[in-house]
Amino acid sequence: MKIALAGNPNCGKTTMFNALTGRNERVGNWSGVTVDKKEASIKHSFAPEGENLILVDLPGAYSLSTYSTEESIAKDFILQEKPDVIINIVDATNLNRSLFLTTQLLELNIPVVVALNKIDLAEKKGNRIDVTALSEALKVPVVCTVSTRSSDNGLPELIKAVLAAEEFGQEERVPFVRNDRQRYAFINELVRDAERKKLSSEQQTLQDKVDRIVAHKWLGIPIFAAVIYLVFSISQAWLGLFLADFFVGWIDKSYEAVASLLGEDVNPVLAALLLDGIIGGVGAVIGFLPLIMVLFFCLALLEDCGYMARVAVVMDRFFKKVGLSGKSIIPVIIGTGCAIPGIMSTRTIKNIRQRRTTAMLTPYMPCGAKLSIIALFAGVFFADNAWVGTSMYFLGIILVFVGALIIRKITGDYSKSYFIMELPEYRIPSVKRAVISVFGRAKAFIIKAGTIILVCNAVVHLLQTFDWKLQVVAESAPETSILASIAMPLAVLFVPLGFGMWQFAAAAVTGFIAKENVVGTLAVTFAITNFFDMEELALVEGGAEVGTILGISSVAALAYLVFNLFTPPCFAAIGAMNSEMESRKWLVGAIAFQLGVGYTLAFLVYQFGTLFTTGSVGEGFGAGLLIVSAIVATFVILMRRGVRKHQIRTSVQAVKS
Amino acid sequence: MMSLAQANLNKPYIVDSVHTDQEDIREFLFALGCYPGERITLISKLASNYIVNIKDARYSIDEDLAKAIIICA
Repeated sequence: MKIALAGNPNCGKTTMFNALTGRNERVGNWSGVTVDKKEASIKHSFAPEGENLILVDLPGAYSLSTYSTEESIAKDFILQEKPDVIINIVDATNLNRSLFLTTQLLELNIPVVVALNKIDLAEKKGNRIDVTALSEALKVPVVCTVSTRSSDNGLPELIKAVLAAEEFGQEERVPFVRNDRQRYAFINELVRDAERKKLSSEQQTLQDKVDRIVAHKWLGIPIFAAVIYLVFSISQAWLGLFLADFFVGWIDKSYEAVASLLGEDVNPVLAALLLDGIIGGVGAVIGFLPLIMVLFFCLALLEDCGYMARVAVVMDRFFKKVGLSGKSIIPVIIGTGCAIPGIMSTRTIKNIRQRRTTAMLTPYMPCGAKLSIIALFAGVFFADNAWVGTSMYFLGIILVFVGALIIRKITGDYSKSYFIMELPEYRIPSVKRAVISVFGRAKAFIIKAGTIILVCNAVVHLLQTFDWKLQVVAESAPETSILASIAMPLAVLFVPLGFGMWQFAAAAVTGFIAKENVVGTLAVTFAITNFFDMEELALVEGGAEVGTILGISSVAALAYLVFNLFTPPCFAAIGAMNSEMESRKWLVGAIAFQLGVGYTLAFLVYQFGTLFTTGSVGEGFGAGLLIVSAIVATFVILMRRGVRKHQIRTSVQAVKS
Repeated sequence: MMSLAQANLNKPYIVDSVHTDQEDIREFLFALGCYPGERITLISKLASNYIVNIKDARYSIDEDLAKAIIICA
């Protein structure tokens, strides 16, 4: 039996889906978090024995007429796949609007059960809803639910009503509609009878006062910067580091335990593969797990409280200036967790150029995997300053703006679109929900570390252990290994960026498989097992050591960081870009663009940084300048051509009119 | 008759029409409850956006859209 969850955006469909199925799908206190349908079996504690109830979570929709793509996913599923029962989630705090979709669903000849969700919030506001009157007028069962609660939440009653509805079907239809105006007339009358409100929603509330500050034209930006800085301080300087210290201790212990288990008799090549390649490499990556978990925890709290929608309001006018809209902020913010769901959520953008541009620029936001690279370089070269991470986030945002501006010029497409977004109410974020979501992500991270990253590290280790004649490389000549000889030609290209060493080149390449690999490969190629100082919480002393081993200046380290963050993302994210852009030309252009921008940026950071710190430009300045000039020239030519195209188009329109 | 962009704060108005050639945004606004005859209140102007109350929810809309929504007192 198939049950569909349908309702307005942000009415709590995914929260209910998670509660009923035990899954851990992404939720957030804003519209448009779910962009794809998701299916799972309802937990056995809710379902009668022997019955397999499949629940389908659909993206939110305000109506069955389609405005956005994710709304059409909901519509198409309901019309084409005909679920046995629809659970229509109605937001009790916004009864009137929600019932518009409800009445449309009632006309489909599919049994409907209404879940009156967020009833606790409605009661807190002093609103009283007459459930019996509602049920009688709509002629469907109405069940009050609070899916954020773990007990007394109405969910068992809801499933019972669903099963009954399936058995008996829907007896009669509500005969109210000839057109949508009549629909609203019916709803307005129904709500007038069934709902008693203490306060009109038109009145100013405390929430509006808070909005005036956090979404203020100018104050909004420093507030956002402060919030991100705080998040980084907590995750990378205070709590995260404290936890990481414990964690790395365990990894070191497991390293020693395996070493003693292997004993002296094991083949040294095999032992090195296991210890330095696998445990060392994977351990180096896993070591950053606590930092990443704390960051995700903070971000989950931020998303849950409703602040992110305000960020979209603050940023809208900047996005407008570069030809995007506030809608593009959602993918960018989701991209701070992982670029793939971020890119997928560009589906909510209707304008095709804006959608493709956003999909192309979303990977500029440092994702969770890139965070391990940031944490490594911040720790080793910059004494764990939270400004490193914060500035990388803001650099990411700036690149999104600049990138959008360039792409608009290249395409010559100056179309505009309206921006409208619901502002969810603020609420106190749930620590429990944040913890559940963080552990879900931690699990995914560990699985990734134990599979892709483990294999990559093992391969990297083997390639650097042997030369082309399959002889073990002498310790004094590591540059004769297969890995070194493959990476060396690439490393030459990186000389003008300050890190022309084969180890860094190899790490940048494995980074395309998964960005965590950058850390793993550096650990393996430089034979470092511990990026954290065990003796002290501060990384300073141990950091200096690691810095000497890596053998590059802080400026070059920053350039390398910038290079890894702002060149193309991992292959999985490129795949997501491909499917959302639906154009080979755009994909190739996007990758070339990202490569060009990453290279140019790293060059500027290294050469200017070196000029400021030492008084003269760095190595390979001339050659690098040549390459960067070529990149910039290409952009300029393409932009000129795009602008011309735009001018021709507008003049053609002028002639026509 | 004026556009929402010229409205006073905290004063309920009645939507007269939505002046745009994009049919889909008109339909979308309709589904939210922003259609001729329905109430709309301007709560505040933030950054470049207009915060409005339609039915029981707050929305942020940009200036272009605010100019497209024609209201009367």
